[in-house]
Amino acid sequence: MSSTAWAWLVLLFPLLGSIVCALSYRVIPARAAGAIGTAAVGLAFLCGIAALVNLLGDPAETRHHASSLWDYASAAGLDIKLGIYVDPLSIFMVLIVTGVSTLIHLYSFGYMGSDAGYHRFFSYLNFFVFSMLLLVLAGNFVLLIVGWAFVGFASYALISFWYRRTTATKAGMKAFVINVVGDIGLVLAAFLIFQQLGSFEYTQVFEKAPEVFQTNEWTIVAICLLLLVGAFAKSAQLPLHTWLPDAMEGPTPVSSLIHAATMVTAGVYLIARTHVLFELAPTAADIAAFTGLATLLVAGTIALVMTDLKRAIAYSTMSQIGYMVVGVSIGAYSAGMFHLMTHAFFKALLFMAAGSIISAMANKQNIDEMSGFGKAMKFTSIAMLCGSLALAAFPGTSGFFSKDEILAYATDRGGMYLIFTVLGYVGALLTAIYTFRLVFRVLPGKPCKEAQELIDTGHLAHETPRNPASGEEEDTDVGFPGPEHHIADQTPSMKIAMGVLSVLALFAGFVQVPGLDHMVTSFLEPVWEGSPLAAIEPSTAASWVGLAIGAAISLAGIGIAYWAYVLRPEVPGKLIERFGWLHTFLYNKWYFDELIDVLVVRPALAIGRFANRTFERFVVDGLVNGTRETVGEAGSVVRAVQNGFVRSYALLLLIGFAGLALYFLITSS
Amino acid sequence: MINVLLWLPLAFGLVGLFLPRRATGWWATVGTIATLGIAIGMVAGFDTGNSGLQYTTDTTWISGLGVDYSLGIDGLNLFLVLLTAVVWIGGTAFAAFRQQERPQLFFFLMLVAETATLGSFLSQDLLLFVLFFDLMLVPFYFLFGIWGKDRRPEGGPSAPAATMKMIVYTLIGSLLMLVAAIATAIISAKGHPITFSIQALQEQGLPLGSQRWIFWFFAAAFLVKMPAFLVHGWMPDAYRAAPLPVLAVFSGVLAKVGAYGFLRVVLPLFPEATVEFQEIVLVIAVASILYGSVMAFTQTNVRLIAGYSSIAQLGFITAGIFALRADGSDGAILQMVNHGLVVAPIFVVVALLVERTGSEDIREMGGLAFRAPILAALFLIITLATLAMPGSANFIGEFYILNGLFQAKIVFAIVAISGVAMSAYYALRLYQRTMHNRKPDGLESREIGFRDAVVLAPLVLCILGLALYPQLILHRTSPTVEQTVARVTGGAAPNATLAAEGKGHEEMVSER
Amino acid sequence: MNFDAPHIDYAGISPLIALTVGLVVVLMTSVFKPLRRTAPALTMLTLAATAGLLIWRWGDEQSLIAGALRMDELAITISLIAIATAAFAVLFSIREPAVAEAGSGEYHALLLGSVLGMVMLTAADNLVTFFVALETLSIPLYILCAANLRREGSLESGLKYLIVGSLGSATLLYGMAFLYGGTGATDFEGIARGITQGGVLGDPLILVGIGMCAVGLAFKTSIAPFHQWTPDVYQGAPTPITSFMAVATKAAAFAVFLRFFDVALGDQGSEWQPALAVLAAISIVVGNLGAIGQDSLKRLLGYSGVAQAGYMLGGVVVASKSGVSALVFYLAAYLFMNLAAFAVVIARERETPWGDDIRALRGLGAERPWLAWPLTISMFALAGFPATAGFIGKLYLIEALVEGDYTWLAVFIAVGTMISLVYYLRVVAAMWMRPDSEAAAPGGEPAIAGAAPEADPIDPDAGRRLYLLAPAVLCAAATVFFGVIPQPLVDFASHAGAAIFG
Repeated sequence: MSSTAWAWLVLLFPLLGSIVCALSYRVIPARAAGAIGTAAVGLAFLCGIAALVNLLGDPAETRHHASSLWDYASAAGLDIKLGIYVDPLSIFMVLIVTGVSTLIHLYSFGYMGSDAGYHRFFSYLNFFVFSMLLLVLAGNFVLLIVGWAFVGFASYALISFWYRRTTATKAGMKAFVINVVGDIGLVLAAFLIFQQLGSFEYTQVFEKAPEVFQTNEWTIVAICLLLLVGAFAKSAQLPLHTWLPDAMEGPTPVSSLIHAATMVTAGVYLIARTHVLFELAPTAADIAAFTGLATLLVAGTIALVMTDLKRAIAYSTMSQIGYMVVGVSIGAYSAGMFHLMTHAFFKALLFMAAGSIISAMANKQNIDEMSGFGKAMKFTSIAMLCGSLALAAFPGTSGFFSKDEILAYATDRGGMYLIFTVLGYVGALLTAIYTFRLVFRVLPGKPCKEAQELIDTGHLAHETPRNPASGEEEDTDVGFPGPEHHIADQTPSMKIAMGVLSVLALFAGFVQVPGLDHMVTSFLEPVWEGSPLAAIEPSTAASWVGLAIGAAISLAGIGIAYWAYVLRPEVPGKLIERFGWLHTFLYNKWYFDELIDVLVVRPALAIGRFANRTFERFVVDGLVNGTRETVGEAGSVVRAVQNGFVRSYALLLLIGFAGLALYFLITSS
Repeated sequence: MINVLLWLPLAFGLVGLFLPRRATGWWATVGTIATLGIAIGMVAGFDTGNSGLQYTTDTTWISGLGVDYSLGIDGLNLFLVLLTAVVWIGGTAFAAFRQQERPQLFFFLMLVAETATLGSFLSQDLLLFVLFFDLMLVPFYFLFGIWGKDRRPEGGPSAPAATMKMIVYTLIGSLLMLVAAIATAIISAKGHPITFSIQALQEQGLPLGSQRWIFWFFAAAFLVKMPAFLVHGWMPDAYRAAPLPVLAVFSGVLAKVGAYGFLRVVLPLFPEATVEFQEIVLVIAVASILYGSVMAFTQTNVRLIAGYSSIAQLGFITAGIFALRADGSDGAILQMVNHGLVVAPIFVVVALLVERTGSEDIREMGGLAFRAPILAALFLIITLATLAMPGSANFIGEFYILNGLFQAKIVFAIVAISGVAMSAYYALRLYQRTMHNRKPDGLESREIGFRDAVVLAPLVLCILGLALYPQLILHRTSPTVEQTVARVTGGAAPNATLAAEGKGHEEMVSER
Repeated sequence: MNFDAPHIDYAGISPLIALTVGLVVVLMTSVFKPLRRTAPALTMLTLAATAGLLIWRWGDEQSLIAGALRMDELAITISLIAIATAAFAVLFSIREPAVAEAGSGEYHALLLGSVLGMVMLTAADNLVTFFVALETLSIPLYILCAANLRREGSLESGLKYLIVGSLGSATLLYGMAFLYGGTGATDFEGIARGITQGGVLGDPLILVGIGMCAVGLAFKTSIAPFHQWTPDVYQGAPTPITSFMAVATKAAAFAVFLRFFDVALGDQGSEWQPALAVLAAISIVVGNLGAIGQDSLKRLLGYSGVAQAGYMLGGVVVASKSGVSALVFYLAAYLFMNLAAFAVVIARERETPWGDDIRALRGLGAERPWLAWPLTISMFALAGFPATAGFIGKLYLIEALVEGDYTWLAVFIAVGTMISLVYYLRVVAAMWMRPDSEAAAPGGEPAIAGAAPEADPIDPDAGRRLYLLAPAVLCAAATVFFGVIPQPLVDFASHAGAAIFG
């Protein structure tokens, strides 16, 4: 079987899983649905591996295959097939997506154990995976957009999964609408591409582009910028990032699946996929890079002050994606994808750990109330530590190698790009600090009452469930993670998932160690074929220097965190008093929500109100009523003349005749 | 065969008048299903790739006046006929499941309406088209007026008043259209015996001078019918008055007749005028998109949300047609079908919601999904289709439309596409406010009944089917569409830019 | 000088003879008590005979009595329309209080007299016959309008009609004098010749004459602004008579309108066409506006008649074959549409205490479909909806107008039709739909005298009586039939066109 055939199977299984879970919601028991869902994705993963093997079978230069099932919509010169494109890049993504997703399904199998909407949940999860795979396997821009939007919808469905929470439905709406804005960017880009190159197919587009465009010609720049709109909306880059933190309304597995491992990296994939176009439009590429950098820093600063466990991690996600965007935009494609992979591992892990802790906290997410889980939940704590180390780029962990490779590349490219190195390291410092801020606030110390209860009784704390965001009491039908909670330490399926990820988080970095091996790079090589930027290869020595600096910074960051949150716990409070304005500024996430509210939402609603209250009533109805009234008036005039007196009739008769005669006389003379 | 298709509903309706109260609804449903059978048969037997008319029938009707009874099917109307047949089943069956007062009359009128609508799609004779176009209004006048909802309690108009408004408003256009049609025939006859056959009129052609005013007479009729921005004054009252099963077919199909008229009559017969007024119509279309969307997300009455969203959708369709490119018009036709397929079920769902909540105001709804998962799922699919979710046929429709517009008049495309974002908002809002969030106290939610599911599910299946294979429609429509558009742009290739139009213009003139 | 009597072709004038004989016989019946009840039957017989003779004369057209009359297809077609109307009027008159008042024999005799006038008028080819016929037509009507002595509405209308009518006739006569003075001829061809050869083309004398004749005819056909008698008389007169006037008078008057303007003044077209077009436009507007908000159905139909006359005048304006045919077609259609409506109005008038007020129609659709449908159909037809003869008629007229370069008048017709919907559909709504506040609110006191059900006895099941139901259903059916299969009627009408423009 060819690699494309396997790829089709990769698509097929999750889709089937989704449909089966959905239709069987009254037929089969919940657990069975969970099993089916998990199995479906697992199978997809295996097929992915099969495809990989097939692909590696081919010689490097022919490692890309297009295949299409049927004409999807081909008329009037547009030629849109239901086609996929298989090459190392897409397979790389497929493996990450399916792999991590399998584990996340496994985790959810336990975590969501007692939720009312179990079938629905797994149906959505499967559908999400399907959409994501469609996105990465799509063979033309139209299908890409389809996958793109499906992913957006899936995230909407999962974010507002507990749909009795007004906060959740709002968040879902926000995510969806912002994603649609992204879609529109892509659509416009597609139109422009079609106008210039007359095709939507990747193969043809990437072939023709270099012949048609000169570097930095406005059209190609416009195309790339429009693509970026899509990329930024999905990957939560400034200024389209506001949906991501709110998206934490969704169940925790969702956060780890969508908002850490897979969906948010779609933007990175897009830039890598269309690198041919971006290399023709350096301006656009640089804009992308700088946006990534800005996001990296802004998100990092915000993560420093977030008190909501999941939101803090969410911001760290944004900032990590900032790294990837920088990477793929400045040409460090493999490095960017490498970081994408490692990040998927450790960030998913972190979220899982967080989920486990939140369960133990009876659904409370505020870290100010947490402490001492180190004793209460050993396994979870260890997992969280592994994740944090990787995120903080602790020497030897996966994050350590991947992040520094990007920065090393930036150094090597030199010139303006040194900025990225420098600020990248600043970001690294922030990362280390906020990561371990969480660790030190949650794990060590005197157990909080929930932790204590867990230690004493081995049972989870129970309270009347409340919405962590608004504090309103949860709807008991649906709208909170079930009456029971589940933590990793007591739930095997969760344990397995987190165990595997912990290992990966720690050691996955060794697939690509400067000077030793470079599996990722060499595997992805054929994709960047012919790209001058991809050719740039930082010397092993330079890389190691970079690694050294990175290690130092990471250790320093952890140290600072230790000093501030363990040795001198009063320090943060003091700092907050001292720089109150800064804290409020960061705590309000740089006021991005408010900005968008003022610039977009309010005006739209105002226009709506005007149209509704004023325009519709006075202009549109005025048109109708005005006519009606005039006619009515005229009618009453006619009736008034009809006064019933013969004399007046006779008069009118004579007037009429006079008029007629007059007319004749005038015309005749 | 085409005659059977056209008159079968009427025949069933007449028989139904004399059936007992309880039977007549079923009888009518059977009639609509039979009609669908024939329609499907015609799609199956349709010679794909042939741009000309098929299944034609043509006999003199009034010899003295040059009016023929001539019907035919080509790419332009093939699927609109199918749509009509499908949607009518939904509306009729849904009504049949419910108690109607004076059912014989009700279903008789429903079927008369179907015949009239089919007639206006099938007519290949300009005057016959006008005739059916006006005739469509009569049954709906009664259906709205007799079974309509009296809004006086809430300060609205009574059903007859609302209906009157609609009739007068929409007839303004159609009567002017009658004059325009006759003028077209006589002027282009240039002394030869008069004919109203659209084909023949195409050949004869009109001087630009008369094209100008005739164009607007027709445009008036079609734009009001849709309705388009500024002439939609009749819509809110009529939509609030109409009984929901009837509204489903009305909004699902009749609005399309207007858009279809542009393709069937205006583009072929008044090409120069079309090119000349392209921008003006586009402005109206884009205005409809924006205005409709904005209104849709500020309304709280479910009927009106759907109503205004249709204004926006029809705006897209018009814009697609007046991109004057094959892809734009292909998309327009596809979108007509799609919109019909989503808006009809929406009104069915609305009816179900109203039955459950006893209100038409989304502020008094919510949280229905938990007890009614199947209904929620169906509604979700419909909603996603409405907002032209990529992966739905609606997306392909809008994609084609906007691509055409983008290549022809980029500015309009960029403004129009903002409507897509808004549609995402109002459609989801409708879904969330009804299905999700907290359930208002004392509101009891119910799963969709089996009978209603039987009505709704097939429509949803159509949506899904098209989503997988929109090519089904595009493939069959595009030959005719390309020919039609070529008449206007003078045979410019599909992805030629606007320069072509000017060129096409002279070619047209020189042809004469 | 010697005088030799003109040769008289008795076959040609046989219809007139039949009518006259019938008239006398019917009148006699009132003398012999036992025969009184036979008057209606005899009237019908007479009408049938006349119609038969007319059809017999079909085809061989010739001018009779030294060009005084001209029995051609135009005359025959329109006479048939008038006679059919009369026949229906007779049916409507059964059990009509007015008949009892006036005496059955007299009543029907007068009716026949008026018909006689009409048949003459359609054939009139000479100023003298023209005028004589017109008066023969009018005078009986003056009396018939006032026939219902116990209703002062009836008397009032009769008187009004008489006064204003004589004013109209006077004007007409005066105009004729001018024409005779200008051309020295009384027969239409002669006038035409006189105008062209006598070099008086566009001469003020002639033009004033034309103007006056136009006024006189406009008056009979109730064209605005010479229409004002119409609503009052329609409302006041006994309803059967109203229905008769509404259709037959109009038809006959239009016949001579055509003949006079298209034959006698054909060459003057450029002068009078625009003038008549303006008149048409005015009466379209005035008629439709006036009808809005009328609660008395007879008034409403009166105004609608004014508007319809405006449409029809278009057929005269264009002075072409298709114009004439269109007009005749429309008249035929008008016969069916109007009489269906009147039949129902009469029925309700006798059934309910509301008289001809629109409230008499409440809930008719639910209770009495056999009455509701005819009225509904006729309203839709008058409003020119498709699948009715009304639509085809408008189509025919508009086509003629556009051909004759009077597109603007066609647009006027369209606009007028739009306005007309408001009142036609109001009637329909009253029958089928839940009572609408607008309709109910003002209807405290009947609009003007006449809607009041003064003395008329109530006959609760008048609407079930065959002599009302049959005409209603028949006319409605015909309206739809000729809307779907208009060809026969089109041919019928086109003969009339051919009669004038070979």
